[in-house]
Amino acid sequence: MQSWLVRVWDLGVRSFHWGLVASVTVCAITGFLVGRQALDLHWIAGAVIAALLLFRLIWGFCGTGYAQFRSFPLSVSAIRQHLAQALAGQPERHLGHNPLGAVMVYALMTVLAAIVLTGVVALGGVAKQGPLAFAMPFADGRSVLSIHNLLAYALLAMVAVHLGGVVFESRRSRENLARAMVTGDKQALPGETAPPRAGRPQAAAMIAAGLAMVVVPGIVLLAHRPGHGVPPATLDAAYVRECGACHMVYPPSLAPAATWNAMMDGLDEHFGENASLAPAVAAPMRAWLAANSAEHWDTRAAVTLRLVDPVTPLRITAAPAWLRFHRSIPASVFAAKPVGVKGNCAACHSDAATGRFDPQNIEVPE
Amino acid sequence: MTNITRPLALAACLGISTLALAATGPAQQKVLDQYSADAKAGGGAFAGFSAARGKALFLSRSATGKPDTPSCTTCHTEDPRKAGQTRAGKAIEPMALSVSPDRYADLAKTEKWFARNCDSVLGRACTPLEKGDFITFMVSQ
Repeated sequence: MQSWLVRVWDLGVRSFHWGLVASVTVCAITGFLVGRQALDLHWIAGAVIAALLLFRLIWGFCGTGYAQFRSFPLSVSAIRQHLAQALAGQPERHLGHNPLGAVMVYALMTVLAAIVLTGVVALGGVAKQGPLAFAMPFADGRSVLSIHNLLAYALLAMVAVHLGGVVFESRRSRENLARAMVTGDKQALPGETAPPRAGRPQAAAMIAAGLAMVVVPGIVLLAHRPGHGVPPATLDAAYVRECGACHMVYPPSLAPAATWNAMMDGLDEHFGENASLAPAVAAPMRAWLAANSAEHWDTRAAVTLRLVDPVTPLRITAAPAWLRFHRSIPASVFAAKPVGVKGNCAACHSDAATGRFDPQNIEVPE
Repeated sequence: MTNITRPLALAACLGISTLALAATGPAQQKVLDQYSADAKAGGGAFAGFSAARGKALFLSRSATGKPDTPSCTTCHTEDPRKAGQTRAGKAIEPMALSVSPDRYADLAKTEKWFARNCDSVLGRACTPLEKGDFITFMVSQ
């Protein structure tokens, strides 16, 4: 049988596919395995996924033959027919995506888009970072984060099905589908040719450039707006002077107003020492603390630390959330020189004074 | 005391006072003057401050204060020329005036810390004599 190579997957489709493989891999490793320390890499890879999806959307109209969406429409009748043929053992050959493959392409793109969007919402609400930080409450961000996580597991399952489908179809049709996605070429049978539709890369580039000129500055502009519930941290001068004389200056957002009031009531028995203040100093400080307490903030630290330890309610480092966040840190790290005590937040959190406690600003000393 | 030793002792006392005065700035002297005035006003015989008594107070251990702070040295270390550390991990400037020349210059600040730390360590307020002795010791260091 005479056969020759025909270009099925153009450079745009292949770049999209392998770019997606790389960026999804980075997102999966940083998201599932590393956690919040790798947040920067995670969202950057997520942004790459978003850009790739947008490109593919454009390329679906401007790409060459099999890249175009109209070459693999979502069609229930086509799927039914394909399944019936497959069950009969004689599926029709498709050089491009077969009807089931098309379902997978659209499903993957939809789920990826949903993961990107929920990721942006979660990043804004939980971490108070990114273009939606100015608008997203923490509670909403946290709910959306669980959807983001569920979608990520769904994506893992879909990737497994996709790989299974490729292996199955490669064996059944005796053509290496994975290699075709690398080289772009498939063995054509007599009479088979690629659809004659040529790509319009210039048009695609112009649309992409136009989109980028609007979207990128828009995102950057939004990302620079102050976060929702993250007031500019200006620490009261007397508070810094008086409290900072003995210990790290705790941002008032780390404890609820009730804690600060009790703290000010009991300064003569302040964690085993007398730290009493002159009434003229104490009164305005008490008012400032109440006005800037955890209830007035929407950062992760403020929201979670509102719940205090019932036994030692004044000890921030005894709060359930504090213990949860630090459970992986061995006691020896707190005892060792650069930290010394649990309450020395700034030893590891370089942004402790701002009350943000961004995961990117954690560096635990050796 | 004989007629000869009395002026000698006086001279020695003056000499020591002058040495202490040399280390004491005018601001510290004002604080000390206030404490000596308070000590005199409190009745009893006031015969000047003593660095030796101040040192003994600084190094003493007390069972009447708060359990975490049995002594000044708990946080300030036994060497006044060395930096100390608060129980919360923050460095404390050395207590000796020779190393920390800004200390004991502000009466309100000095009073604030005596009020807090005498209560923490001794479980009571310090007397003007104790405060003056303490500063006199730190000035001599």
